[in-house]
This record gives sequence, C-alpha cells and structure tokens, in this order.
Amino acid sequence: MSSLDDLKSRAHELRARLEGQLASASDSAALQAVRDRFLGRKAGEITALFKDLGKLAADARKDAGEALNALKEFAEAKIGEAEALVERRQRDSRLSSERIDVSLPGRARASGGKHPLTLVREEVEDVFIGMGFDIFDGPEVDDDFHCFEALNMPADHPARDMQDTFYLEGLPPRLLRTHTSTGQIRSMLANENPPGVRILCPGRVFRRDDDITHSPMFHQFEGLVVDHGITLGDLMGTLETFIHRLFGKEYPVRFRPSYFPYTEPSVEVDMGCSTCKGRKTGCRVCKQTGWVEILGSGMVHPAVFESVNARIGKVVYDPAKVSGFAFGTGIERVAMIKYGISDIRLFYESDVRFLQQFS
Amino acid sequence: MKIPVSWVKDFVPLEVEPQKLADDLTSIGLACDGIEFFGKEAVLDLDITTNRVDAMNMYGVAREAATFYGLPLMPLSTDFPEAGAPGSEVLRIEIEAPELCPVFSGRVFDVRVGPSPSWLKDRLELAGQRSISNIVDLSNYVMLEMGQPTHAFDLAKLRGGVLKARMASAGEVVKTLDDVDRTLTAAMGVVADAEGALAIAGVMGGTSSEISEATRTVALEAAYWNPLMIRRGSKALGMHTDASHRFERGADPSAGPISLARFASLAARGGMGTARPVLVQARGAQIVPRNLTLNLGSIDARLGASVPSEYSKTTLVRLGFEVKEPDPGAAAHLGSARTWEVVVPTWRGDCAREVDLIEEVARHYGLMKIARTVPASRRAAGLTSAQTTERRLKALLSGLGYREVLQLNFVSSAKCDPSSGSVVRIANPLSVEQDALRTSLVMPGLLEALERNQRHGARDIQFFELGRTFAPSAEGPVETPRLALLISGATPRGWAGKPRTLDFFDLKRTIEDILRRHSSGALTLTRDGVPPFLHPGRSAVIRIDGAAIGYLGELHPDTIAAFSLRDRPVVAEVWFDALTSRKTPAFEAFSRYPEVVRDLSILAPSTASAIEILALARDKAGDIAREVALIDRFEGAGVPAGQISLTLSFLFQDDARTLSSEEVERAIDAVRASFSALGYVARGLA
Repeated sequence: MSSLDDLKSRAHELRARLEGQLASASDSAALQAVRDRFLGRKAGEITALFKDLGKLAADARKDAGEALNALKEFAEAKIGEAEALVERRQRDSRLSSERIDVSLPGRARASGGKHPLTLVREEVEDVFIGMGFDIFDGPEVDDDFHCFEALNMPADHPARDMQDTFYLEGLPPRLLRTHTSTGQIRSMLANENPPGVRILCPGRVFRRDDDITHSPMFHQFEGLVVDHGITLGDLMGTLETFIHRLFGKEYPVRFRPSYFPYTEPSVEVDMGCSTCKGRKTGCRVCKQTGWVEILGSGMVHPAVFESVNARIGKVVYDPAKVSGFAFGTGIERVAMIKYGISDIRLFYESDVRFLQQFS
Repeated sequence: MKIPVSWVKDFVPLEVEPQKLADDLTSIGLACDGIEFFGKEAVLDLDITTNRVDAMNMYGVAREAATFYGLPLMPLSTDFPEAGAPGSEVLRIEIEAPELCPVFSGRVFDVRVGPSPSWLKDRLELAGQRSISNIVDLSNYVMLEMGQPTHAFDLAKLRGGVLKARMASAGEVVKTLDDVDRTLTAAMGVVADAEGALAIAGVMGGTSSEISEATRTVALEAAYWNPLMIRRGSKALGMHTDASHRFERGADPSAGPISLARFASLAARGGMGTARPVLVQARGAQIVPRNLTLNLGSIDARLGASVPSEYSKTTLVRLGFEVKEPDPGAAAHLGSARTWEVVVPTWRGDCAREVDLIEEVARHYGLMKIARTVPASRRAAGLTSAQTTERRLKALLSGLGYREVLQLNFVSSAKCDPSSGSVVRIANPLSVEQDALRTSLVMPGLLEALERNQRHGARDIQFFELGRTFAPSAEGPVETPRLALLISGATPRGWAGKPRTLDFFDLKRTIEDILRRHSSGALTLTRDGVPPFLHPGRSAVIRIDGAAIGYLGELHPDTIAAFSLRDRPVVAEVWFDALTSRKTPAFEAFSRYPEVVRDLSILAPSTASAIEILALARDKAGDIAREVALIDRFEGAGVPAGQISLTLSFLFQDDARTLSSEEVERAIDAVRASFSALGYVARGLA
C-alpha cells in the first residue's frame, strides 16, 4: 500500500531524474525518448504514478493529485522548452549551412541587345510620335522623280553633286535613295487626308562615299509637317523640343539660314557641343566653335508642292494656302554625338566588341 | 572661301571684332567655319552655300555685312585713264552661240608683265591664291573681289584679231593652262579666234594664247556663260575651277564691263597696264531683270513673326533689290492685299519667287528673334501594326540573347546564293565586292560577320537582323523585309554549369517563340526546297499553315569551309510579312477539376518522327488528354541499336468533372496498344 509520503518522494525523485536526463539530451530523438520515458501513455513513469493515485486513502488523494499534476506540468514545460531549443538550434545550423556566396555573378546566359542605331532611331521616333507624327516607311530603291526632280533638283542641279548616287542596272531606271527626303514626296502622294501631313520617315540611304566619316550606306530620318498656317516658328519650336528631349535641356539650340533646294527659307540647326560643353578650346568635335550641326531643315519649297500636285493631277497642296516644314539628319550623326563614336564604319561591322557596349 | 577682313573693309567701315563679324555672318547664312590670324590680318573661312554665288567674293560679303549693320556700302572704284588707239581697231568680239553666251565683253590693254606688287600678292595669299604674274594675279583679284572671272589673252597670239563665243566642234582639241590636251564635244563652249579654239568657255584658258613675259598687249575678256552648259561641260571634262564654280552656279550677267573697268582701274594704279579706249562688246540675248510681287502679309504668315514692313523694305533695298510700292491710295483700297513690286538685282539669280524674298528678310531679321512654337496636332499618331511588330521582335530577340546587327545592302554578286534568284546589280559600284544588292541577309552577310568575329576570338554568337532583300522584276527591284538569325558556338561559360553547344533546336525554339507571338497559324518544318548552303539532314523549310515563310538549318560543311568558319553555325531567315498575322487571342475558361499526369516510355525505331508519334498519342488518348508532351529522348546504353527511347507525358483533365483512374488507364492502354501495333515497345509507365 502506497503512502502519500512514498508517492511524494517518488515524484521528487522523478523530477530530479527528468532534469538530469534533459540536461544530457541534445537532439530531438533523445528528447523524444525522455518524453516517452516520463510522459508516455503506456510506459511513462509519471503516467504510472497517476495509476497509483487510486491506491491512496481518499483524504490523501487530493494532496497527492495536486503534487502529481504539478510534476506533469513541470515535465511538459521542461521537455517543451528543451524541444524548442533543439528545434531552434537545428534551424540555425541549417541556415548557416545553407549560406551562399552572394558575391558570385548571376547565372551565365547569352545577353542580347538592340543595335545602337535602333536605340537612337526608336528614341527619335518616340519623341516625334509624342508630337503627333506618324512613322512613314519608304522604299530604299526609288527613282529620279521622288529622289531629285520632285524635290526641286532637276537634272544638272549642282546640289546633286553632293549626293553621288548609286544607279541600278536594268529597266525601268532605278536608283538607291540618297536621302529619306523621298519620304516627303511619297507621304504627300499617299496622304489619305490631305492636305495635313505629319510624318517622320527613318531609313537607310546610299551615297558613293567610303571613308572614316562616310559610309556608302547610312541612316537618316526625314520629317515633314504640312497644314494650313504652318510657320518657320513652328519649325524651330518643333526641332528645339526634339533636341531638348533627346539630349537634354541644357544644350542651347541655334538656327541659322542655309540652303537646300527643296526648302525656302532653309535653316541649319546647331546644338551646343556635347563634347566640350561650350568650352570650345581645343575641341575637335565642334572645331572650337562650340556648336555642332545636328539637323537640316526649312519651309517646304513651293516647287515641291507643285511637283506633287502635278503628279496627282490636281492642286491638293496649294502653296498659296498650305505651308509646311521639313527636316532631316543622319541617325549615325545623332548616335555618334550621343555615344561619342568617331568612326562611322563601326556601325556596320557587326563586331560584338562594339555591339555589346549599348545593351 | 577665305575672306580677309581687311579686304571687306575696303567697302564697308566695319568696326566689330572678327569673332563678332564671324558670328553675325553665320547668323545671316554665311557660315563661318573658322578664323585664322596672320599678324594683324584676320581671315574668315566662310562656307558659302551653292545658291549664293553673289556672296562668293569680297564685295558680296561686304554687301551682306553693310546690310546687317546698317553701314554704307562703298561703290567699287572703276575710274581709269585710257590711252592709245581704240581697242575696237584690233579686237572684234562675236557671239556665234547666243544660248551659250548672252553677253561677251572685252577690252584691250597695253601691259607690262612682271611680278605682282606686294599689296596684290599679299591679298591673294591671304585669300589662299598663289601669285603667278601681275596680269594673271589681277584677273584673279578682280574675281575674288567682285565674283566675275575674266581671262587675259595675248593679243599677238590671236589669229584674225577676234574672240568668238561658239560651240566646240566635236573632237576639237584645246591644250589648257594645266598642259593637258582636252578633246571637246559639240556640247561644250569655247572661246575661239578666227582659226580655232583658244579656251574652254567658263572653265580654263589655253596655252596657245597664254600671256608671258613677252606679252605687250592683252585682250581681257569677261563673259556671262550659260550655267547649265558650263556645268555639263566641266563635269564631262572632269574639271572644276574657280571660274567654272561661279559660272555654273550663275554669275552676274551685268558684271562683265564693270569687272573690266575695275581691272583697268587697278592696273593703272599698280602701273601694270593701260586700257585702250572703247569697251568691245557683243550681246547674244537681252538680260531682263526679274520682277517679283511680294505680298507683305506673306512674310509674317510664313515666318510666324511680326516683321515691320519698313524693316523688310530697308533690308531688301540694302541688298540691292528695288522696291516699288504701288500708289498708297490703291493699296488702301478695301480688300486689296498690300503688295510690293520688287526688282531683283542681276547678281541674285537665286531669287526667283516671292518666298526667296521672304528668306532675305528672315535671315537678316534674325531667325533667333522669331518665337518658337509647336504646331497643334489635330490627329491621332503612332506606329503601324508592322512597325509595332518590328519593335516587339527586336525587344523579344534582345531578351532571348540575340544581338542586333545592321549590315550594308551591298554584296558581291559572286557570293550570293544562286538558289535565291537573280540579283539586282549596281550600275556604278564602288567595288566588285559591293556590286549587287543582297538577296539574303544570311548569305553572305551574316556568315561574313560571323567570320570576322571568330577571327578575333568571339565564338559564341547570337545575331539577328531585320532588313530588306532585293530581287529584280519587270516593274523594278522588289524589296522584301526579312528577319535573319544566326547562332554559333556554345552557351556562355560560367561558374554554375558547363557550356552547351548551340544547335538546330536552340534556333528552332527561337523560331517557335517568335511565331507564338507573331503568327496565329500552325508551324511545320519540311525538308523540301531547303537552300543548298545548308546541311541537307539538319535543315528545313519553315511553314505556317503549309505556306513556306523561311528556312532554318545548320550550315553545310562546304559552306563552313568556303567562309572559313569554325563550329557548326545554325541560321534562319523568316519573311517579315509572315509575322504580322497574329490575331488577338480569345480567352478560354480553364478547367477547375483535378489534373492527372501519366508518363509513358516507348522504344521506337530511331527513324521515327517525333511529331507523328505525338499526333498518334494525342489521337489515341482521346478528349480527356489535354496535353501530350515529349519529355525525354534517349539513345545509347540500355537502348537497342537502331532504336530510341521516348518518354511521353500525358496531362488528363476534364472541363466538367473529376476523372476516374479507370478512364485514365483506359486512355493510356489505348495509346500503348496503338504503339504496340506499330511494333514499338511500350516500356510502361514511368
């Protein structure tokens, strides 16, 4: 017959043993063993003590019950604590073992990119799209009418000398366009809602030239705005906006009279030199003038409207009623200024050492 | 053109610094490219546009400066003493070709040929001209000063005492001052004496009548030549001279007698010679000054500015235009626009329309004074669908690791792939290496680009280009936009894995990626009609809904050898127009019932076509099979020779219910049975 004292002393002894075993249990398996040994449903030693409660006298049971419950709670708490500790240690050790070298470069993958001339071209297009322009594609192979005659450059015009032309074999007579100004004529002829026109025509052009600053093929964009009441002030405002959007507002813009057969008045557009930032001294890019030519432009020459009208067979663009401006430049020229490239031929050599610098 | 500032100051009392003068001239259209200083002398380098032949001389620049600064323009001093018998007794002038030469003037001088005085020599040198002898130098001086070329003939060498302006006879030969025999055509003009041609009209004099130290009397000639005829002649002869440069752009038809007088005045001053009385002159055609009507409202309307009419008038008058205002009463009449009648000076042949007068006003008024505006747009704008496709393709391919290249359109016709059709040839190519327009972006373009890169050690290449190819047709060359792709070498080296050789299926995957985004049709690859520069067993024609839209393949070993390439490059070309047919996808509701995945491995002959096996599996698995994919392909150890092991993965799912395992097994059994019927060994469910 167990006595209350006997039970209490066994509980006391169990408590001491539990503490001793917990101190030496360092992993979750050992802790599970401790748990089973003390609290297991069938063979747990504390569980067994509860079974002995019924053997006590009724007056001792309450006392003994309280003592056993205290022991059980103590055991649960201690084992739980130890388990949490082990779990935390395990997680910490896993995390520290999973450490990676974050300084390693990202996984290797082929990296691609657009050609620098495409990057510039798209940027230019987007500036003009923002000002209400459509993008107009014209053919690279064209004829004398669209390339010269309609642009007020009849046969033997001295301005043709500046644009040494590639001609193609065979008939009908064809040439490679020497400038995207052909887009002026083609867009006016194709216009579905005359007389308003607002287009940008980017594309390849061809001239018989080949040296460090000239390639037999290069890219230009040509712009044309035609409507009632278009003024020289509109030309200057549009092109100043373009330059400021493309290069930044810190660059001054200068307009000066010039000559192109298909515009009158004709205007050359200069921007502050991005290389010397206006310091001039010793600058080879701007030849120490502080300015670089960036665009040719002008008010559409009445003769151009007349040529288009004659081709259509009626007066669609009456020079007395509508006016317009045109402008253009080399995309390479813009790219060379923007990226500081000095040899135009690099653009077409498909050399990865060049191409990879722009993506 | 080199413009010594001191020379300009002979005619206009300038006080500004040279840099300021340069900036101001630039602002009115005479662009200054630089200033050079020689002691106290400043020389401007002006880039005069081709239309402004009137400004290609000191006096023309002085006129512009005087107008801009509001300073007086001094007249050229043309007073000179005359001595001796009338020149007309020893010199006659005849125009036989009035179209070539509307006016021809001459004067006889008794001269002392010798070295030039220093003032003459120095000025010519500042203007970039070498001194030859006093008479030749003075002729050059007058040209630089006022723009009119003159030419001195040794009178003693003139046969018949006559200078004729006529067309050359075909085959006529003139030995020009540069000691070259020039054979002329009937379309070229000459100055001739009674017996033959002496000089090429408007271009260069000849040696037979050249003045020398022994020359005592000269016939100095100043003519106006038809610009077009001079231009055609000098171009045909390949000659470009100071004289032809001016005549072909249209010199001043009235300037001849003035230039002779100026020469006489300077010759007398320098003790170089004395003019004989009488200007000898012939006229082929009357020179009528041009009259233009200027609507005053047009100036402001064209410029978007408010230019005071008094300013416009003063500017035009200073530039030499005569401005006639109609009777003020008539101008004030209700409804009538205010107009001026403007007489254009003979030296401004470039001013032919009202708008040319507006430009004169605008450039002096100052472009920078005009308010800059952006015109209102009343229309929607943006990219066309083809342009959008182009941008998206470029972005996609860049993201997939391809670098965009842009190549010249020119190729060597010898290197074009003959199977891609006839070539468009350049009539005047720069070289035989660039004698045709490309018929393919790949052949030879991208292959040569790859070779250049491999030569400097770049082996792992992924390129694309969007560009046009050209083919002849009865209506002229046809341009076809294409997309070209090239891959070569391996995936990049890195710490995280071994590089893998790029092959056919890498590029096929790119083609699939492109077509999924840019086409709505079904892709198939067929082996017929593949270009011969590709490996016959590793290439295919790309088809969408059966129609060929390009090709894809590894290069033929012979092509690799011919282009000195390394590795096994794979190329493709796709016709761009095939990439613009994508329809907007319509959303389809997806099933919310569970998916069942089953894998099945089979052994098949290695010649079996993957697409046929997949089609059979899909067909036999029935409607409940939502996807069938090939997830493994293996040959070698463990697989009998001549066979391949394929693993198919089936995804079963129904839109309306949960599938039972029995019906999935039935479907798989049906597939297995159909493979067994073909003699394939089903290796069971993986």
